[in-house]
Amino acid sequence: MPTLKTASTRKAKRHDKLARWVITLGGIIVIASVVAILALIVGVTIPLFRTPTANVVCTCRLPESLPIDDVLQLGIDRDLDDTRVTGFVWSRSGAVAWIDLRTGKLIGQEQLSPPGGNARSTLRQVESLGVGKYSLSWSGGAASLVEIVPQRANRKETHATRYVIRSLATIPASKNQESQQILVRRSETGAITQATRLPDATIAILREVTTETLMGDEEVSTHRSVLRDDIIARVCTMTMGREGNTLYAGTDDGRLIRWQLDEEGQLARREVIRAYSDGRAITALALVLGDVSLAVGDAKGQLTTWSPVNADGTRKLRAIHELQPHHGPIRAILPSGRNKSIFSLGEDGVMHLDHMTSERHLLSIGPEESRPICQVALGPRGDTLLGLDASGVMTAWQIDGGCPEISLKTLFGKVSYEGYDSPEYVWQTTGGEDFEPKYSLVPLIFGTLKGTFYAMLFAVPIAVFGAMYVSYFTTPGFRRTIKPVVEIMASVPSVVIGFLIALWLAPIIGHWILAFFASLIVVPATFVVFMAAWQLLRRFHWAKRVENGYEFLIVLPVLLGGVGLAVCLAAPLEAWFFDGNFQRWLFEGPLGMQYDQRNNIIIAFGLGFTVIPIIFSIAEDSLSNVPYHLTAASMAVGASRWQTLWRVVLPSASPGIFAAMMIGFGRAVGETMIVLMATGNTPILDWSPLNGMRTLSANIAVEIPEAPVGGTLYRVLFLCAVLLFLLTFTVNTAAELVRQRLRKRFGRF
Amino acid sequence: MLSLVCALLAVVTVNGLGVYWPSQVAEVTLADGTKFLGRMIRSEVNPDTDKMSVQFKVGNREQDPQRQDFRWIRYDAILAITYPAEVYVLERVENGDFYGYLKDTAGPDLARLSGIPVAEAFPKALGSVRSKSSEEIAPISKKLLSLGNELQKTQDKILRLTYRRDRLLADSRSGNQSRASDVDRQIAELQASSQKIKEQSDRLVGQQQLRLADLRRDAVVMTNPAGKETSIALVDIVRFHDPNAMGFWAKSRYYLSRIGELLWENPRESNTEGGLFPAIFGTVMLIFLMAIACFPLGVLAGIYLGEYAKEGFLIRLVRIAVNNLAGIPSIVYGIFGLGFFVYGVGGLLDQWFFPERVASGTPTFGTGGILWASLTLGLLTVPVVIVSTEEALQAIPRAAREGSFALGATKFQTLVRVLLPTASPGMMTGFILAMARAAGEVAPLMITGVVKLAPQMPVDGDFPFFHLDRKFMHLGFHIYDVGFQSPNVEASKPMVFVTTLLLLIIVLAMTSVAIYLRNRMRRRYQVRTI
Repeated sequence: MPTLKTASTRKAKRHDKLARWVITLGGIIVIASVVAILALIVGVTIPLFRTPTANVVCTCRLPESLPIDDVLQLGIDRDLDDTRVTGFVWSRSGAVAWIDLRTGKLIGQEQLSPPGGNARSTLRQVESLGVGKYSLSWSGGAASLVEIVPQRANRKETHATRYVIRSLATIPASKNQESQQILVRRSETGAITQATRLPDATIAILREVTTETLMGDEEVSTHRSVLRDDIIARVCTMTMGREGNTLYAGTDDGRLIRWQLDEEGQLARREVIRAYSDGRAITALALVLGDVSLAVGDAKGQLTTWSPVNADGTRKLRAIHELQPHHGPIRAILPSGRNKSIFSLGEDGVMHLDHMTSERHLLSIGPEESRPICQVALGPRGDTLLGLDASGVMTAWQIDGGCPEISLKTLFGKVSYEGYDSPEYVWQTTGGEDFEPKYSLVPLIFGTLKGTFYAMLFAVPIAVFGAMYVSYFTTPGFRRTIKPVVEIMASVPSVVIGFLIALWLAPIIGHWILAFFASLIVVPATFVVFMAAWQLLRRFHWAKRVENGYEFLIVLPVLLGGVGLAVCLAAPLEAWFFDGNFQRWLFEGPLGMQYDQRNNIIIAFGLGFTVIPIIFSIAEDSLSNVPYHLTAASMAVGASRWQTLWRVVLPSASPGIFAAMMIGFGRAVGETMIVLMATGNTPILDWSPLNGMRTLSANIAVEIPEAPVGGTLYRVLFLCAVLLFLLTFTVNTAAELVRQRLRKRFGRF
Repeated sequence: MLSLVCALLAVVTVNGLGVYWPSQVAEVTLADGTKFLGRMIRSEVNPDTDKMSVQFKVGNREQDPQRQDFRWIRYDAILAITYPAEVYVLERVENGDFYGYLKDTAGPDLARLSGIPVAEAFPKALGSVRSKSSEEIAPISKKLLSLGNELQKTQDKILRLTYRRDRLLADSRSGNQSRASDVDRQIAELQASSQKIKEQSDRLVGQQQLRLADLRRDAVVMTNPAGKETSIALVDIVRFHDPNAMGFWAKSRYYLSRIGELLWENPRESNTEGGLFPAIFGTVMLIFLMAIACFPLGVLAGIYLGEYAKEGFLIRLVRIAVNNLAGIPSIVYGIFGLGFFVYGVGGLLDQWFFPERVASGTPTFGTGGILWASLTLGLLTVPVVIVSTEEALQAIPRAAREGSFALGATKFQTLVRVLLPTASPGMMTGFILAMARAAGEVAPLMITGVVKLAPQMPVDGDFPFFHLDRKFMHLGFHIYDVGFQSPNVEASKPMVFVTTLLLLIIVLAMTSVAIYLRNRMRRRYQVRTI
């Protein structure tokens, strides 16, 4: 056969090849995009579970002028752009020195004069209170509260060029007695509280409250009190809340003491509990951010957090979380100033970083490459750590990434949160600065399933029976009209449905709620009565004609009549049985259910409206695609229409109907606007159809505008999207496989 | 089911269409002797008092201490209800409607109207004030707008140059210092010119204020049933009508003018009054952009699946994937759009082209905008196009294909000359369905750039005319926002119903056309294959 080799065929072939490439490429792009969507969303969520890393920013030696034994406390400040890392070193002489940690050079030094003018007194303890604040206790019993303030050369400068020390409060020694530990706190309102543990087993409390008089003058009132207790002799460590109202102490035989102080520093409540029965010593105490939970470190290296829990009418300290233990006694605990993370330093020189809520052990630092760490300090943003080891080398670490509050347990398990008496599933993401975010996805998944369940309860019978009726009983003319109507129903935007059911239907249902419940019984009852009556009517010729596909003309008035009857019955029912107010009866009566106007019944209607057309059209397809010879054979052996449908058609079409339900389910799960508009969006765990819920999809829409990009909430919301994706993906794939199998069996449809 | 659809359509239509029909205003005399004007809304047992009560919509919001728009009056408290023909309803720029009786027109320019009856004088006065305002104030406003644009541009330039200078200064190579001082000089020039523009616009604003104050002196004096006089500046009146005196045709004319306002004007009073033009425009523009993004891709993929791909395990997987794409919740697309388009692609574009704006915290593409929203929607609707293209191709009888091949046509030629023309109605159906779905989706838009009030349209007279980075308004979001986020839900309900009706009309019209097209196509093939 001679081949044509003209220019036009060559051109045509070239075009053909090109087109093949382009088209194949287009097809592959679409396929790739499915994968890409999942990959991207999953990619965003991965950092949720990554453990943070600690990277060394810089190391340097302690300057010669500062002997290591003199160092009492460290501090660190780091600029945003990382150009300068400054360390502070407090030494016994009462001097603070700042050191450029990149070069190891001393930048400056300032000598503090002890309060009370006793020039010979030296610093005994320095406690870091976070954000550059330190409480100092001097030998001789004086104490002071100071703040290290970075100074910028000018406003444009991003990094601090020098630091000044500002004194916030000074409290001169009151008794000439050497104290064992002094704690000083300054509350937000400026009240200063000092607790001094003295060797004679007492704790002296001093509170200075500054009030403004009517004249506008400031008046300082000083309150003093003494806590006397035998147990104080055994106390080895103490800590106090930021406001100075609660004082905690741990003893050398494993007991914890909590003193509650009132406005004037007087003892209001005292609680002693035996934390450990084996009598181990408690070596370190610190309050986790928010001052609700107490972190306790002991001589056996165990680190636990305790918080007050309601038990028999009183609030008692209970051990809530247990974190990764150390190998030796715990020397110090440093709560992060940003979240509920806790740094702890063991006697063996190993640092741990743990998160309280998730009980995740985030990282351990040291001492493989360096000597044991003996002093640590935390930067103001909570992401920088400064450690000093026994050989006098200072190391600054940068702690990167991770969402410490997230673990599988916090997402899907019951967690004990601060202020809750027992472990619970809670979703609550916003609150104050020291708020404990609660990221349990369980209420959301529950809400999604609950909403979908009631919607399917409403939609499946209507859609499936509708499909059966339309495909086997009705006239072809009616069938031709109903199909486009269903398609139009499918195309009604969900925002329209959501708006209507929330602002139009919800008040109506709320008003006629009893009628609604009554109609659940009355409407089927009227149907039964009607059926019985119809058997009598069938003897007439016109009635038989109705049976050939025009049943809906008769049934519709019956249905409306049933609803009408229910509405009429509602008022007398309410008066007789429910004291004239059904909603009040629901709440106060034996059921004790709260009625929300935007509830799950409303949602069922709304979601049902979107799901019915989908289920209907797929179910109708699969029903009418059952081969004609099967139904014809059944009819031929004398089966009635109903028998044919029930015994022949339904069994062969049931996979298709099942697939229809699955796809409907997938659609209901992901519907956003209706749920967003017509529920109160409260994440609660309650099966009652009379209150609302929050679904995964609505949750995304509600919270994403407030979620900082790259933050924990942002990533958790992406995780919600992943869950939704996986849920719908499995359901849809299953349905699709069923349909493909059906297609093979009955030819294409 | 049929009844469900009908019920829904009926509710929306009745509530939506009724909003603008001027119903009668009643003068209600209460048992305690006080009188007020209001429109009767409904009567029912008030849940608060358990008494049969009537709800009235009352105007004159600023005179009510609680600024309420509605009053519940108990049946037994009403002495009489009359419908005086002289009642006028003035629709104002602020504070909603004013119900009252015309008393007089007053003002320096209205002295010539003093002789004629007030009912005639009032429209004339309103007309003269309007023409004056369009003569004097409109040009100033126009100029102010263009000055504002110019100022914005200058400031953008300054921002860009400042960023460049900072970069130059941070890099201590030789010659950068002198270049930086060059840039500094340019900045100074621009700052001077922007200062000049600012002064100019300040001057214009002053002029505008002066003229307005001048115009505001022309007012109409209204009385309420109690006889209390209120003076309302004529420039504040948007429209007026006297519902009790209007005949059917007058009412119809009024109705049409309200519909016109709805379609072509900007919203007022935090979206609860005025028009919907920006929302309609935003919706149309969004669908248009979505179509550009999604149709070519969808058609390509559909052709690939239907004609080029070999049946096999992979293609089965692909089919499942495509059907799955259609089933993924729209909010998941939204969050994908946010993560990928807005923060991914948008962030990259910003880093390449507008680094100075990232530094100043006002990203251009790295925030929600109409481009990203439409691309997200495009992704969402691509499966619809793919499936319908594939189905349309499969519906073509094999004979057509084989005939073409037999004549020596290549696959591409067959596709372009034979298959695509035949399949076009089916593909068209897919397009329209995709557009209808896109018009009704709101959830993904909420996180990719829709806003309740967009100050600027995505298309305007400023170079480069299309501003795809801008945020936009959308009918569906308008429903959500006005119906659920507005402070005065009861008063804004009518507006929401109107918006709903409009959106439904758009979507249902598209769907109906698609269904009609498909049915026609089916009939054609049935005839042919027999």
